Amino acid sequence: MRADASDSDRFDRMRRIGWLDMDRISRSRCMVAGAGALGNEAVKCMVLAGFRNIDVVDMDRVAGSNLSRCVMFRGEDEGRFKSEVLARRATELYPDADVRPINSRVQDLTDWDYDLVLGCLDNFSARMHVNSHAVYRGIPYVDGATDGMTGRIQAVLPGGPCLQCASNGSHARVADLRFSCTGDAHVFVPRTAAEITTTSVIAAIQVREAEKMASGRTDLCSRGITYYNGEVGTMDTVDLDADPDCPNHMGD
Amino acid sequence: MTMKITVVNTAAGGSIRMELEPYEKISDIIDAAADYWGEGAGAFVIRKGPKLLVGSRTVEEVNLSDGDTVEMIPDPEGGS
Repeated sequence: MRADASDSDRFDRMRRIGWLDMDRISRSRCMVAGAGALGNEAVKCMVLAGFRNIDVVDMDRVAGSNLSRCVMFRGEDEGRFKSEVLARRATELYPDADVRPINSRVQDLTDWDYDLVLGCLDNFSARMHVNSHAVYRGIPYVDGATDGMTGRIQAVLPGGPCLQCASNGSHARVADLRFSCTGDAHVFVPRTAAEITTTSVIAAIQVREAEKMASGRTDLCSRGITYYNGEVGTMDTVDLDADPDCPNHMGD
Repeated sequence: MTMKITVVNTAAGGSIRMELEPYEKISDIIDAAADYWGEGAGAFVIRKGPKLLVGSRTVEEVNLSDGDTVEMIPDPEGGS
């Protein structure tokens, strides 16, 4: 048996997918907001898919309860910054990748010079913050969220409906409930149900949308919100119009 | 003109009939339904068929009509 040239090319099988632009994917400057369960799965898929230029933003440290869902974390990592551990392990998967940890709240970021952003965050307020920055700067954004066996994915493209367009008063109340700022940047987030197979499904679809964006094929991107229900095995995309009252679209 | 619609709770099961005026907003439907089902702590959206109804729009603006059925679905909030 002999391996030919195609077997020594790491991305040979991906190059066989006509619309994937591996050169553009490798050059895209990406931010992954959140290095928890979704962030682990997303970054894993991204480096395996050829993304090389990734900033990972998270202020949190690895805890034992993360280990059931975070493929890049080990028991020995407990107490370390999630973004640092994730960046290091992602680089082990793909040594040509430049994965940089940013130990910070995403709300404190000042550099938004990105080609695309993935939201892998654990609360609605942070997701809305990233959404607003992305829309304002015209950066394609792929938002993901889970709750137990259910999840959602939304690809936000410049000029299109955004996360805020799909929100209402119930989201604002949840955001208020989830955050209790003491003045010491303390954030209170009640524990929510989470499970790895749902996480994997949602993060994988986020990265697929990111591949389309990076390849310049936004025409292939999902135009609505995809809802996944793993309990009953359904996945459905609903259409969404931009909300004329959305503050992110006032200047459109 | 007052209309009656059915709101289906896709998470908990069950449905309720709701009487609406054309000027009422989709977010009002969510609030009333969530209150009825005791789902006050979660985020929800309303869909009609393949379309998600924007919360700030009125019943009239989204063309809801008498006898329509909409679904209220939980909107996951994070990925911890």
